[in-house]
Order: sequence, then C-alpha cells, then structure tokens
Amino acid sequence: MTDTAAAIRAWAAERHLPETHLARWLGMTERDRAAILAIARALRLSTGAIVTALATLEEISVRESCTIESVLARDAIARIIKGRTSAPARAKAFLAALRQIRYPRLAEASRKLEAEIAALDLPRAISVVLPKDLGSAHLRVELEANDGAELKRLIGALYASADKLAQIADRLSGEK
Amino acid sequence: MNFDLDAIFIEDQCRSSALAARVIEKIPPHVPVRYVADGREAALPQTDARDPFGAGKRRMVVMNRRSPFLMACPAGSAEFACCGYLVLTLASNCPMDCSYCFLQEYLADNPGFQVYANYADAMDELDRLAKRAPGRQLRVGTGELADSLAFDRITGISRELVEFFAARDGLTLELKTKTAEIDNLLEVDPKGHTIVSWTLSPEAVFRSSEHRTAPPSARIESARRVLDAGYRAGFHLDPIIAYPGAGRDYGELLDELFDSVAPDRIAFFSMGTMRMTSKLRSAARERFPADPMLLGEEVLSPDGRFRAFAPMRIALYREIADRIKASAPKVPMYLCMEQPGVHRKVLGAGPSTVAALGDRLARG
Repeated sequence: MTDTAAAIRAWAAERHLPETHLARWLGMTERDRAAILAIARALRLSTGAIVTALATLEEISVRESCTIESVLARDAIARIIKGRTSAPARAKAFLAALRQIRYPRLAEASRKLEAEIAALDLPRAISVVLPKDLGSAHLRVELEANDGAELKRLIGALYASADKLAQIADRLSGEK
Repeated sequence: MNFDLDAIFIEDQCRSSALAARVIEKIPPHVPVRYVADGREAALPQTDARDPFGAGKRRMVVMNRRSPFLMACPAGSAEFACCGYLVLTLASNCPMDCSYCFLQEYLADNPGFQVYANYADAMDELDRLAKRAPGRQLRVGTGELADSLAFDRITGISRELVEFFAARDGLTLELKTKTAEIDNLLEVDPKGHTIVSWTLSPEAVFRSSEHRTAPPSARIESARRVLDAGYRAGFHLDPIIAYPGAGRDYGELLDELFDSVAPDRIAFFSMGTMRMTSKLRSAARERFPADPMLLGEEVLSPDGRFRAFAPMRIALYREIADRIKASAPKVPMYLCMEQPGVHRKVLGAGPSTVAALGDRLARG
C-alpha cells in the first residue's frame, strides 16, 4: 500500500466513509487521489462533502477528458483553498465551485437570469422565483402585502416591469 | 449486424416452430442451442454475471409470449402530448447496446433477448383491434422493447409483417431501427402501409453511446433505399443529447439527411431530449462510466426524470425544429414525452389530440 492509500484509509476510517466511496477514491490514480486528500485535509471536508466531491470530480474528469488533479489545480478552486474564511465556509464554496464546473451552462444561465431579476429592482415584497436548477420553464412571482394599498402599490411596480419580466420568462423558455 | 450470442435457448413447446427452425439454421455453428421447459426462466438475469443486463442480450430465448402482443406505448402518459403509437412486442431486448437505453431499467429483471415464436397470434390481435376501430388508421410499431430489424437476418419476421399490413387498410406498421438491415424489406411490396423509421444521432453520439449500431450515414443510406422500394420513412431525433456543439452537429446531420433524402418524401420527424429516471441514470452510468454523453447538464424535472435544464433544452429543440422546417415545412413533427407547454414553445402550436396526431402520422 502506498503512503497516500494508507493516509486515505486512515482519513476514511476517522470519518466513517462508506466502503463503496472509499473504493472509488482508492481506485483513482495516485496523483488524483492525493490531490483530493490534500483538499479534504485543507478544508476539513465532512463525510457528505467528500462523497459529493468524489462523484462530481469523477464526472468532470469524464466530461472534460482531464485528470482530477488538473481540475483541483484550477484558479477558482485554488482561490477557495487559500481563502481566509472558515474551513466550513470554504468547503461549501468548494462544492459550489465544483458544481459550476460540472454544470457550466446551467451556472451561466442561472447567473444571467438572476442578474436580470436583480436589475428589475423590484420592492422586497415581490419575489421572482426561478425554478430549481431551471428544471422547468415556470417562473413564479409572489407578492406579499398587508393591506389593499400595499397590494396596489406592488401590482403597480410589477406592471411597470412587465415587459422585462416577460423577457425573463421568455429566456427561461429557451428564447435567446 | 453481427450477433454476439453466448447461447440460444428454445422453449420445448416451440421446438417445431418455424421461427426456431430459422434461428437454428442462421446462427453461427459455435453458438450452443439448449432446450428449456420455460423460456421465462432463461430470460431471468444471471446474477453471477458482472453485467447481468449485458449478458441477457447475448442469450437469445425463442419462446411463446404469454401476455398480449399489443399494448399502448410505455412512454405514453396523460401528462405528455403523445402520438398514439401502439406497440407490438415481437421481441424483448436488443442485441445493440446504447448507453442511454431505457431498457436497462425497464428489462432489468427480465433481460434475456426473447423472440416470440407464436407471433402469428399477434396478427390475430391486430385483426381484432382493427375490427373494433373501423375508419381509424392505427400506427403500430415493433421497435419499442426491441429494435425492429436488428434480428431480422436471423428471424426473417419483417417480410411476413410487411405483407400482413399491406393487406389491411386500417393499419400502418412502423419498423423502428438503428441498423441497416433492410435486405428482407426490399423483397416485399409494402403497398404504402409500412413506415421504416430510423433513430438518427450525430456522429459524436453514435461513437460515444450507440454501440453495435449502424453509423448514421448507413442509416440514412438505408432510408433512401427503402423509400425507393416503396416504403415510407420517418426519423426519430431521440434522444437528442444537449452536449456542447449539439446544435451544430444536429444541423449537419439534417443537412446530410436532406442531401440524400428529398424532404417531401419523409413521413415525420419526432424529437425527444434524453430523459432518465434516477434508477435508469444509475444503471446506465454503472454500465458506461466513461461515456460523457451520460454526464450532460441534466437536472430533475417536474415529472421526476432527469432532463437537460429547461432553457437549454427548449432552445435546442427550437434550433433543430427550425432547421427541419426550413427544408421540410410540410413534414409533421412531434415531441416525445414532453408536456404540451413545451410542445407549444417549440412547434408554435398546441399539440394535436393523441388520436388526431396518431392518425395523421399513420396516413402520412
């Protein structure tokens, strides 16, 4: 057994990592598994986080025909690892960054739509809610009012943004 | 296509059937033939195999079908805009091995490659159905639980089927395939009652995911040949896989198709993006861990299946539909397993009723 394999086993035993996930990790190349171990230690990843990271990294590696080590060396990941926030915060950011790499077009589409919604500058009592993971084309708009006057004001604000809201709904329906 | 068979199992009650005789005559001599009392047992998964589903594909079981041959399409549902396709199950499972195939889930408990020796009963069922629906044109396909032509070189069933449908005005047969196995078809006159349809995918999908199938160019060439022989031809762009560059690749695929086949001779196009239940996704990824086509940007959609996220999916549908409309404006198009709202966004009009769309596709 290599030093890395022994270290991974020790890490896994400490965190009760299920055998199937451990086998997946140990089945990677020496450099890939060592790179993951380094991050697991640096960010003090939880068991759940390492399971998600292993699966996501494997998927990125197949999608992009690249090594896991090279994914973990990317700037976006390096910045998170070197960040000055707490380890749990960096672990959360790390998983979010992996997801963006795994789902690049979804991340880009979500970012654009969220930016367009923010640019509407609607009153806080109006929520424009995108479907989870853009899994459907259904845009939800919610108004919260305590009385008739407030409701009228919110509807007015919404009406003033109707064209732009319609554009967002169209974009959600695949319009360019 | 070349079969990769480990063994043939023939049910005792089918020993003297015409199908068993044809199969024994055509299979390579090294493939052992065994006789079994109950073919259903031979079709069960081999639990000691590393890949029980894949092993099932290599065990051909010639047996009698116990349940009805005709059923509604399993993809159909009240929540989708459907095409009224009726499924005639003459075989179950497929010698080809597409990484995304729904049979990996649907036949997981029953993966043996079954062909049914009592298929004459299917024709009786069809006659009874046609009698119950006078005036309606019914489109009946054999390509749902198996490829319609992948095993035709061994079984030769297609000729009998085409002749059966040729003699019946109310019935249209659809033979759905990813092969170039059309030699038997060229020997019979369909009299306009048979559509041969091909699932078409760009070269990238073919290479990555459609193992043992004919290359897309061979499928297109086969379509041209059956059209010349008096058949109708349709095309299923299904599954459409939304990988980077997919729009360009599907466009080039359609260019290649329209260069070979006059658009006005095409009976229909269907489209459906890749959709997978969670169970199918796990099964497919386990069997094909290195296929990047299974690792697209699919997310959970409201019907519980993983599909490409909505804006990207609908945009890709539109891009492909626009390309089809530009060259083949009169050819009917429909979406498979999509909600009516998506149908409207892509095709610009509400979907027809199931009966109306099915009738239109059948009549051509």
